[in-house]
Amino acid sequence: MGNLTKEQIQDRIREEAKKALATGEVSCVVGWTKTRFPDKTKPFFAYTDAECDLLVWNEYCINSTAKYALDDRYPEQKIGLITRGCDSRALNRMLKDNQLKRENLYIIGVVCDGKENPVCDGCQHKNPLTYDVLIGEPVEETINEKRFTEVEAFEKLSADEKYEYWAKQYDKCIHCYACRNACPACNCVECYADQYRVGWQGKAADREQNQVYGLTRVFHVGDRCIECGECERVCPMHLPIMRQTKKMLKDINDLFGNYECGLPDDSKPVLGEYKLEDPDEFM
Amino acid sequence: MSVKKDSSWEPVILAFCCNWCTYTGADTAGLNRMKYPENVRVIRVPCSSRVNPQFILRAFQKGADGVLVCGCHPGDCHYATGNYYTRRRFMLMQRLLEYNGIDPKRFQAKWISGSEAAKFRDTVIKVSAEIKALGPNTKFAEGYYAQNEGGNE
Repeated sequence: MGNLTKEQIQDRIREEAKKALATGEVSCVVGWTKTRFPDKTKPFFAYTDAECDLLVWNEYCINSTAKYALDDRYPEQKIGLITRGCDSRALNRMLKDNQLKRENLYIIGVVCDGKENPVCDGCQHKNPLTYDVLIGEPVEETINEKRFTEVEAFEKLSADEKYEYWAKQYDKCIHCYACRNACPACNCVECYADQYRVGWQGKAADREQNQVYGLTRVFHVGDRCIECGECERVCPMHLPIMRQTKKMLKDINDLFGNYECGLPDDSKPVLGEYKLEDPDEFM
Repeated sequence: MSVKKDSSWEPVILAFCCNWCTYTGADTAGLNRMKYPENVRVIRVPCSSRVNPQFILRAFQKGADGVLVCGCHPGDCHYATGNYYTRRRFMLMQRLLEYNGIDPKRFQAKWISGSEAAKFRDTVIKVSAEIKALGPNTKFAEGYYAQNEGGNE
């Protein structure tokens, strides 16, 4: 985390948020504020200087801020976002998907030191990748050797065991679509799951409709997953959703070379391009 | 659809065939009076990349025992690049289904051109024999609660 303490970072965040609002170009700054629980924060939209003083920075700032940029796709003023490494990757991917315009965003990057969230242990991008101002000294990134160990262990089970496991997991699903709503990769204006015509997504909360929803979402998210773990965190029924999305990422890594989503390069998304020398198993 | 296995059981195989290559190939097979198993139901699609991965889930749900996606060889696509996307998409889909307990033999993709009538026949014979050996597919099938009395324990 460089040389700044949490309190210093918090002060800097408030300062930068006020500075951004003072320019008149930014309408609000999205960050976190404290709640009545000491170990929880909530997302917070600061419109005034007084509200900027309510922004906090501690190990419980877990919610992703990136998705709030989608709430106003055509803003009159810029949207300010307090952005950690994971949020910046989400923003990068949304920019690549033409869901957002860079000129509509004012990004306050903060070097993150990990939160009280299990996925943060495997974080490979603590430094924000895209920002207008950066708070804190960039730290050295670590490579997560255990990125796919859980998936590899699960692959070794027999087909019936795997099916039974997932079928029981999907039995629990209640179709609240919280995973979709929290996921920065789920950025379609209209989701297929909201279609009401027969054949898209059955609305009954039974095993087969849940399986279709689960697997379709995994495939839709596919190469967009930034491994932020929001889907799993918000799931009220505790489905291990990341175990599915990471499987897609693992296969993409195996077949098409090292891949991480949301890096600020101009490479095309894996499922939106092809290479002539791709492996061919269908001859 | 019955899922009981008896001697007269025959698999239901759904084949998504690209209009420009495989469908023509199947047509040629018919013109040449080639014999292939009747298990296969051919669905004509404009391009193999028209096949949405969700179609495959739906097929298993509605009682298919196997799904086959066939298209032009890479480089021969009528729309120039469609089957390159198919290739990426279904290599991933096959692995994802395997991860969810579906045998990779139940979902296969093949390149069959318009002149390869014999390859179409051989593929269908091979796939239908493989799926016959695997038996009926109950995974992802509709009506789980109805057949197993009750839902969540």
